[in-house]
Amino acid sequence: MNAGPADTRSPHLDLGDLIAEVNGQAIDDRAREHLTRCEHCRAEVNRWDLVAGGVRGLAAAAPETAQPARLRPTRPGVPAGPRRRTVLAASAAAAVVLLGAAGYAASTALTRHASGPVLTSVGGCAALRQAQGTLEQVNGTSLVIKTASGQPVTVTTRASTFVSMSGPLLGDITDGASVMVRGHQSGGTIAAAIVTVGPPFSAVNPPGFVPVRGTVAGASTAGFTLVTSSGSRVRVTTSGDTLVVVPHASVGQLRKGTTIFALGSAGPDGTLAARGVAAVSQLPAGPRLNAPTRGCSPASIAAALVSGG
Amino acid sequence: MDDPHRDVAAPIFTASRDDACDDVQLLRRIGAGDEDAMAAFYREHGRVVLAQVLLVVGERVLAEEIVQDAMLAVWRGAGSFRGESSVRSWVIAIARRQTRDRLRGGRLRIVDDAFLAEQPGPGPGPEVLALDRAELAEVRGAIRELAAPHREVLGLAFGTGLSLPEVAGVLEIPLGTVKSRLTAARTSLGRILDEKGQDR
Repeated sequence: MNAGPADTRSPHLDLGDLIAEVNGQAIDDRAREHLTRCEHCRAEVNRWDLVAGGVRGLAAAAPETAQPARLRPTRPGVPAGPRRRTVLAASAAAAVVLLGAAGYAASTALTRHASGPVLTSVGGCAALRQAQGTLEQVNGTSLVIKTASGQPVTVTTRASTFVSMSGPLLGDITDGASVMVRGHQSGGTIAAAIVTVGPPFSAVNPPGFVPVRGTVAGASTAGFTLVTSSGSRVRVTTSGDTLVVVPHASVGQLRKGTTIFALGSAGPDGTLAARGVAAVSQLPAGPRLNAPTRGCSPASIAAALVSGG
Repeated sequence: MDDPHRDVAAPIFTASRDDACDDVQLLRRIGAGDEDAMAAFYREHGRVVLAQVLLVVGERVLAEEIVQDAMLAVWRGAGSFRGESSVRSWVIAIARRQTRDRLRGGRLRIVDDAFLAEQPGPGPGPEVLALDRAELAEVRGAIRELAAPHREVLGLAFGTGLSLPEVAGVLEIPLGTVKSRLTAARTSLGRILDEKGQDR
């Protein structure tokens, strides 16, 4: 912060603090306190957050990469494929993704049935707070969720808030949609375990599946035809076990009644200013994974919400 | 069909300074010729490096080549890592040098933005107002139109998980210059958005 006793340069946070706040990195208590009462600095954080969202959006659109080809001939005898792949059952793979959000909750020692504080701290990132509950209402960019204890919580979002949806959302697979399919391939047909709709998001990446990307044609509840960039047509079958992930969703797409996991910073009057929101249509039964975030960065938040940290 | 060698397990960003010890151990194993360690290193850093390089050069094929060159340099030079910086900033610095060598002129031209103070002005200018009105998709498009040094500094600050001092280390410039360049980048971004808004 600039506003030390002998520092007359500016009463506001310096750029380092603003960037740290946007990146979810630690800022000192004095800066934090200033931020809560300084409208100018909060506006600056919002502007930088928008810029950061733009950068991250471009990064997220960057293509996935193959192993550097030129490494392979330098070490003969080593398989070119980087890893042995273990084929998982479709339901297990789906659970990996679904449990991402649930695992995040587990890491905070909060369960769906707990009746503790509405906003709880998050393991691995002191700056974060979490709210979890059922979506009751969408007011523009704000959500009202009802926690397990029956308390309503308002979750505010911004343009840069990461919003994702997952569940058996076969209706979101529509003709012309760009999708990434992961599943078991047999006889030219893929039984889809996971379908990611929209721009690629490689955090949705349980091991064991080679993704196939393409455009949807002839969508029905039973499946669709995937048209790849080379023009190949692959039949994809779907079922109630198919997990559909929309990693870049909008608030307007969220449906009432879904379970919402929101991560962000505590706002006034018990609200949560969300950096990430995951809407999960169907929580799996059984024990939950413990998948804490790997850091405070927005990317870590997004990865934790979608894939388990 | 996608490349079967594609790294399906690679997250976009996995930058976490908590991973610093793992990174160093990975480099040690790479230095000893451990290919599995190289694969893990690529999984950990490849996508972030590619995104950063792509942001600067704006061309997929060239960016892929630069990342491959950078990873090859890591493979050959892992033993030379002295631990004076984080592994993430080290590999990004390598990629940046590869980028610089590939781009005509040998060095990324840096705009003279040192005069731009980081302090807020007396009131919001048109660039700030344009930013306040902008949608995320518009910002993404405007970033593509920025000068390469501005795209580069924004990418490093927001897309790699590096701290600003680490960004300064990668760019080999003082921290104050990083801040002024960031401010200049945002001002340029606002100007582009403002111009686009007037065109509508």
